[in-house]
Amino acid sequence: MGKVILTENLCKYFKKVKAVDSISISIGKGEIYGFLGLNGAGKTTTIRMLLGMIRPTSGSAYLNGKRVSAGNPELWENIGNLVEIPYSYPDLTVYENLDIIRRLRSIKNTNEVNKIITKLGLDPYRNIIAKNLSLGNAQRLGLAKALIHNPQILILDEPANGLDPAGIVEIREMLQDLAINKGVTIFISSHILGEIARFATRIGIIHEGKLILESGVSEMEKLRKKSLHIRTQNPDATKVLLENKGFNPLMSVGGSLEIHDTEALMNPEKIAVTLVNSGFPPVMLVVEEEDLESFFLRVISMNGGIT
Amino acid sequence: MKGIYAALSTEILKTRKSKMLWISMLLFIFIGLMIGILMLISKHPEIAGKSVVINTKASLIGKADWPTYLNLLIQMVLTIGLIGSGIVTIWVFGREYTDRVVKDLLALPVSRIVFVLSKFIIIVIWSIVLLLLLFATAIFAGLLVNLDGWSPALIRSYIILYFVSAFLTVLLCSPVALITCFSRGYLLPVAFVFLTLIMTQFVYAAIPSIITYFPWAIPALFSGVAGSDMPHPGIISYSVLIITSGAGFLGTAAWWRYADQR
Repeated sequence: MGKVILTENLCKYFKKVKAVDSISISIGKGEIYGFLGLNGAGKTTTIRMLLGMIRPTSGSAYLNGKRVSAGNPELWENIGNLVEIPYSYPDLTVYENLDIIRRLRSIKNTNEVNKIITKLGLDPYRNIIAKNLSLGNAQRLGLAKALIHNPQILILDEPANGLDPAGIVEIREMLQDLAINKGVTIFISSHILGEIARFATRIGIIHEGKLILESGVSEMEKLRKKSLHIRTQNPDATKVLLENKGFNPLMSVGGSLEIHDTEALMNPEKIAVTLVNSGFPPVMLVVEEEDLESFFLRVISMNGGIT
Repeated sequence: MKGIYAALSTEILKTRKSKMLWISMLLFIFIGLMIGILMLISKHPEIAGKSVVINTKASLIGKADWPTYLNLLIQMVLTIGLIGSGIVTIWVFGREYTDRVVKDLLALPVSRIVFVLSKFIIIVIWSIVLLLLLFATAIFAGLLVNLDGWSPALIRSYIILYFVSAFLTVLLCSPVALITCFSRGYLLPVAFVFLTLIMTQFVYAAIPSIITYFPWAIPALFSGVAGSDMPHPGIISYSVLIITSGAGFLGTAAWWRYADQR
């Protein structure tokens, strides 16, 4: 199956600064690709290259098999986008701002504006001028502009910015529905792995312009570190006992012991039996998975750290 | 030109809804009335009383009759026209950058050159409307002041002179657009507009031999207000003006098409 979004060794240098360094990504139809990175990692520059807003220093990008170029306006007929903070014409109302996009997208039916206003929950703000909108509603207006023409590809730069928790869930569900039921391909950037991992099918992590990790969300589970946490009435003696059994327990600040040995992680019940038989029955014994943000920061620190 | 109608209709909507349109129209009506008031004072110096400044300004005008008044109006269209169309250009292009909405226009199924063209169409229409308002208000004020020397033939000849001068002046808005897009803001193009005014005066005073080739001086040379001793612009002069205008337009279009839109 042809790739819907494809980049080949995409590079962008701003003078001597390598903002994006040889990014190659390929995304199939209906995928939700989470593009993760810290601020300044190169996410927005990549997105702007995907949208023909800036020209790559080298490499190329393709959407639906067509090479991205500023001179090919037909390319954008089936693509919706939201880049950085969505600004709109401040003196125009929500309706008027969307009507501008409707006209420029040659959508004949003016009712499409009303439909998208309702879909994004902007009905109460329909006649409010954009400069008086809250950040969350400005973001919804930006998403409405991206979605008004029912695009087959969505390229969204941190769409959760400014949304409240209920709004984040709502938008997430809307995007999931588009991908699963309408086959829309979504490229979405974020700096919060925990948020993006909830609905992306694949994750790419960009750091200092380089794609340092790419993985399916289920495979990513395997990459996350696991550890066994044990608490007993006598942690010091328990530590000695476990060391004698060949494990490498670490004492944590809260007084619990942390073991990373694979055998312990695979068979925590055997550890429990050992502890009980040795007179140190555990009051807590749990296998914990590294949380997503720790995983994200660990991956980044393994690739040059946070500069 | 696919999308030109859509682009133009959205430009009209944006212009119609902006305060700038109404402020600029009021300002040009005000300027028209002020010229009339100045003529009234020139005719009746006792109105200004002891105000030395106003009396001095009014006395500079000379005779309070229609030919003097219309000449003053031509001078106004050359300077106010250049500043007015310059500000309109800066607003039409610059707001896309200062409101940070330009990125919304870049990934749409409408060619970027169409956006540039529709913006220039709006700028020309808007500028001409302002200069029409200035002319109409000034004529109305002149009639109220009851100046001497009115004749329909005189008005007719000045109407042509006024609007051709206005059109030639408005043609020079395109380099301002290029500088606005290049600087992504208002300050540099405003400085450029005033620099062109100063440079015109400088060329006029210091190197008059090249004045027929200096684009910003050509509308004044055409109008004849620069003085009877000044050369009349020839085909080369008009070519220089058209090339400058064309270069500004093509430069702006190329900027939208090829420059990185960050």
